[in-house]
Amino acid sequence: MTVPVIPIEHVLALAAALFVMGLVGVLVRRNVIFLLMSLEIMMNACGLAFIAAGAKWGQPDGQIMFMLILALAAAEVAVALGLVLQLERRFDSLDIDTAGELSG
Amino acid sequence: MTGSALTALAPYIVLTGGVTLMLLAISFVRRGPVTLALTLAVLLATLASVGFAAGAGTQLIDGFVLVDGYAHFFTALFVLAATATAVLTFGYVDRRAAQREEFYILLLTATLGAMTMGAAAHFGAFLLGMEILSISLYAMIAYPDTGRPPLEAAIKYLVLSGVASTTILFGMALVYGETESMQFDALAGDGALLRVGQGMILAGLAFKLSLVPFHMWTPDVYQGAPAPVTGFVATVSKGAVAALLIRYAVTTEVLAQEALFFGLSLIAIVSMVVGNVLALLQDNLKRLLAYSSIAHMGYLLIAVLAVASAAGPEMAAETGMVYIVGYFAMTLAAFGVMTVLSTDEDVEDLADYEGLFWRRPLLAAVLAAAALSLAGIPLTVGFIAKFYLFAAGVEGSLWLLVWALVIGSAIGVYYYLRIVFGMTRQMEAGDEAAISWWGPATVAILGLAILVMGVYPTPLIDAAREAIRGFGG
Repeated sequence: MTVPVIPIEHVLALAAALFVMGLVGVLVRRNVIFLLMSLEIMMNACGLAFIAAGAKWGQPDGQIMFMLILALAAAEVAVALGLVLQLERRFDSLDIDTAGELSG
Repeated sequence: MTGSALTALAPYIVLTGGVTLMLLAISFVRRGPVTLALTLAVLLATLASVGFAAGAGTQLIDGFVLVDGYAHFFTALFVLAATATAVLTFGYVDRRAAQREEFYILLLTATLGAMTMGAAAHFGAFLLGMEILSISLYAMIAYPDTGRPPLEAAIKYLVLSGVASTTILFGMALVYGETESMQFDALAGDGALLRVGQGMILAGLAFKLSLVPFHMWTPDVYQGAPAPVTGFVATVSKGAVAALLIRYAVTTEVLAQEALFFGLSLIAIVSMVVGNVLALLQDNLKRLLAYSSIAHMGYLLIAVLAVASAAGPEMAAETGMVYIVGYFAMTLAAFGVMTVLSTDEDVEDLADYEGLFWRRPLLAAVLAAAALSLAGIPLTVGFIAKFYLFAAGVEGSLWLLVWALVIGSAIGVYYYLRIVFGMTRQMEAGDEAAISWWGPATVAILGLAILVMGVYPTPLIDAAREAIRGFGG
């Protein structure tokens, strides 16, 4: 029985597309929640690229890096959502631009 | 893992243990002085264990971290900077937050992340160190519960630093896909994807060092963050990235590729010019120092680029280390003075510093020493550091960069002297808020360090040379 193999180029192309989508999201969105989601997409794109690279070499390293990325994304989002809660409660806004006190 | 590997890891183990201990301690005793004492004890123990760990020699542990003299050098530097920050924050944070104890734990974890970056020899350690540092910093920046700027600065830093991290990660994945290894010493190869990956890693690092054109976040984050945290971000966070960048450049020889060398040179030159010119326009000391730090990171890139030039990796690393130490002393001193003066709100307008010599002579003298040192005036450590860069640039025939360094420094003198002249303006001493002794004592020590290392730099140079023996070989 032959197992169909997905060429690494396809996976990398998908990862690159996800990465660019996330990057565009970070650049155009102004709502903090959407910014964080876009960031999350970028992180998962990196994870996918690592898994593809690990599969190419038949090593577990790529998946281990993916698990590290998952842990980091969770930690980052935990802090970020804490900040979002503060922003919402104290300033009643989720937009990072409105009433910004820092110039430029 | 062998016994000698454990010995070499002693500073990391002690600091991690210290963090755990403090987490337990603050659930029983919530008293500022106790927490500060514990923090200082943990930092001192870490510093002491560096000497112990050095006995184990150079240890490559599971191909993951390379604990050598270079790593120990930066561990000591980061721990000292964290100590200064911890003392300066005492009395600052409790006026701005209901509970201050967790701040010290975040300070320690951030230091741990920075130390890990100094020893990283593998993408995994690189990633872990970088993120432990960054995530601690987000919380430290947002720590005060007064006003909006800290929160805004933290969110901005989180998103932009997150983008930089993911860029680095994607670059790592591409490099790994081409080279079958994630260890720094096995990343050689040739291929389009490899080059793209290495370019992404360098771009992400440039972002973390706030180099032009990736500098947009810097002034806002500097301004919004509480003064002592700004000092910590400016020194330890950037120092850790720079330490990693130098090791990465030496081990992987990534700059041997002309496109990347050229790109990084361009970033360096533009950073020096743009940073200095924009700093001229600032009336806020935090923003001024932010732009000045952009220029200084541009200067530092000369040391990184010298790795791949005729100057050679050893001289480049030595230059980078001396420069980073000098930069730490002067930046911490400047933000230290700001922290001490900021009893209620952060004192950050240049106008607030006018006549400081007549009101607070000691603090004004330290700030003047820091400003003159940042400008690179002789008899300060800033001069020694700049001289080193100049020598490395000349040795490596990096003429354009040397010219940019000279021109950038010439522009810089103007705004640094503006701070000093503002402080000498005659003014009557008014009612000054009382400040406690430990803040001025800390900045006085930093000010002394600037002058002593500027007049007698031999111990510093010897320490750097000792640390990089066998480096890159």
